[in-house]
Amino acid sequence: MRPVAIIGTGQTRHSKRRDDVSQPELVREAAAAALADADLRPAEVDAILISNMELFEGRAFPELWAGAGAWAIGKPCLKIATGGTSGTSACIAAFHQVAAGCFDTVLVVGFEKHSEGHTQAGMALTDPYWDRSVAAGALGNFALSVCQYVQERGVSERQAAMVAVKARRNAAANPHAHLQLPDLTIEEVLASPVIAAPLRRLDMCPQSDGAAALVVAGEASARRRCRRPAWVKAAVTRHDKPYLGDLDRRLATMRTLRQAAAVAYRQAGIDDPVRDLDVAEIYEPVTYAELAWYEALGFCPDGEAGRLIEDGVTAMDGALPVNPSGGVLSTNPVGASGVIRVAEAALQLHGKGGARQVEGARRALATGYGVYAWSDVIVLESAA
Amino acid sequence: MIRRLPIRMPFHYAAGASASRFFEVLRDQGRILGRRCTGCRRVLCPATAFCALCGEPTDEWVEVGPGGELLSWTEVPGRGAYALVRLDGGDTAMLHRLLAADAAPRIGDRVRARLADTRAGGILDLEGFELVGEEEVT
Repeated sequence: MRPVAIIGTGQTRHSKRRDDVSQPELVREAAAAALADADLRPAEVDAILISNMELFEGRAFPELWAGAGAWAIGKPCLKIATGGTSGTSACIAAFHQVAAGCFDTVLVVGFEKHSEGHTQAGMALTDPYWDRSVAAGALGNFALSVCQYVQERGVSERQAAMVAVKARRNAAANPHAHLQLPDLTIEEVLASPVIAAPLRRLDMCPQSDGAAALVVAGEASARRRCRRPAWVKAAVTRHDKPYLGDLDRRLATMRTLRQAAAVAYRQAGIDDPVRDLDVAEIYEPVTYAELAWYEALGFCPDGEAGRLIEDGVTAMDGALPVNPSGGVLSTNPVGASGVIRVAEAALQLHGKGGARQVEGARRALATGYGVYAWSDVIVLESAA
Repeated sequence: MIRRLPIRMPFHYAAGASASRFFEVLRDQGRILGRRCTGCRRVLCPATAFCALCGEPTDEWVEVGPGGELLSWTEVPGRGAYALVRLDGGDTAMLHRLLAADAAPRIGDRVRARLADTRAGGILDLEGFELVGEEEVT
């Protein structure tokens, strides 16, 4: 792939409701922030990619009327909707567009306003014959995989609660994050009500209103416009089968993430991810998923994810800080969540992390997780 | 300013050749069928026209169940319990309701499909799966 870099990022304030802005205005807020960060005028953007799960808002064509918020009129503009991976997929599409020489500068904007629609109704629109009357919604469906993972790996509720606490404490240093629970304790997580056994309320991600944007540029523009471009060293997507019953212990095996990570690590020259990566922003819809992803991403051998969180390896002062932003567990506007992962990873390399900066971060991982078992893995690097 | 607009959208969906036969046999004969893949030879239930794993078409009907193994379960307070069950003779699992059980289910337990009394052609022609005691293993 020809050199491609992220040269600017921007986010809105994320919260439960953003009644103060319309969807196009929310998109404008993130797009304007990313362009300002990249020191780019709207007229200098060649193409726009919009990431949004339109089902959740019950409103078609987000690329059209929210696209206007991203100055898309008169330019190539596409929408990408692949569930939780929408944002990472849109970023990968932008990398490909620029690497292929189609465009020099692409603006990616992801957004969601869950407060305006019916997320559960959208999530329930699965296969009308096999799933709809019996699937337990997104939560129950995921909980079935968590049960298998817990049984197989012996992960404890307490270890999952430690992930919940780490995420919310990290979020307290991120002014954009939705949930602000700086004093959350393991005991409070374990005392929160069961939503779908064994998942408790505080094991879960919130639903947020918010948008995130980033600017992708070709080599010459990136060098000219950005002091420390975040170069794309790998961008890999893997999909899996469409029925939960055919996914073989989804969280325990997580074939797609293992395959995508193996290819991405090879492309980026990563042998030992905990040693070779400086920071990771991974898409963890629930606490147990973060533990499962540690294993699938090779942060530890299978069965040792619980020890990894207990030892603080993934804490802000650990060998590999995971989700300094607070992650999806703290902020989740679905169409934006993948863009946030990539933007937060790039921001670390730009050295603009503020209170959540990992000092001297040079190599960053960002992942996406979507639908039943789709995975995106992206590795970014800044020059020495 | 906030505008509230409910949307009602009726749809109709073709089940396709494989699922149509699956649901007809379930409704009319109370039997559960799977389809064997011509590539990997797995028996797929739910019955599909092609295999998602290897991409090859399926070509043979195979009866599966009604007994099976509980691969996972969860309980959603207020909504009930759900199960992932591999039916005997099948290679994939089915997601369905777990019917009220006296004992707490464990992964690996034996279960059995319970047919609905009135069947209309749909996945709820199976009322769900129930735990099978040691003495009455199917």
